Amino acid sequence: MSTAMNFSSKSFKPRPPDKGAFPLDHFGECSAFKERFMQCLRDSGYESGACRQHSMAYLQCRMERQLMANEPLEKLGFKDLIDEKPEAKPEK
Amino acid sequence: VVPGETALAFYKAKNPTDKPIIGISTYNVVPFEAGQYFNKIQCFCFEEQRLNPQEEVDMPVFFYIDPEFADDPKMAKVDLITLSYTFFEAKEGQKLPLPGYQ
Repeated sequence: MSTAMNFSSKSFKPRPPDKGAFPLDHFGECSAFKERFMQCLRDSGYESGACRQHSMAYLQCRMERQLMANEPLEKLGFKDLIDEKPEAKPEK
Repeated sequence: VVPGETALAFYKAKNPTDKPIIGISTYNVVPFEAGQYFNKIQCFCFEEQRLNPQEEVDMPVFFYIDPEFADDPKMAKVDLITLSYTFFEAKEGQKLPLPGYQ
């Protein structure tokens, strides 16, 4: 059986996520946001930095639908995007 | 992805059977030495997740690479880090070996 764990002298120690697990989006409530994000990645040549507005929108979608614990966006690394656009949320 | 900047990635999982499956996943990072710099803020892993028959779901991971990665001379040649997940079927009473995770 091949697994992610190998028992050599340097064994990889998985660490749990800082803020826990995302519940599954069984109903695809945020799929549209995910699609926009993926499209942005394809358009930008997979530059993650270019699509942060979309990833922020995706996480906001999750928070609004109880698919993610509410967390101030500044704490999720989006402070610069918030400062840029104090009122506006991405359209559509 | 820039060290220190939060990033989002998606995986997709499908249950091709006609029975619900409860799975649990763990992850691996290569190269090994980069794993210490990989910080998950939130993901779908480590907890049991249920997939209904024929269900397909998106599985997000929200993470960042520790900015100290850029200062580590051992990482100077690393420009590709691969994150992979392995799903196991969770069985009643079976505890997965998850070293370091309590």
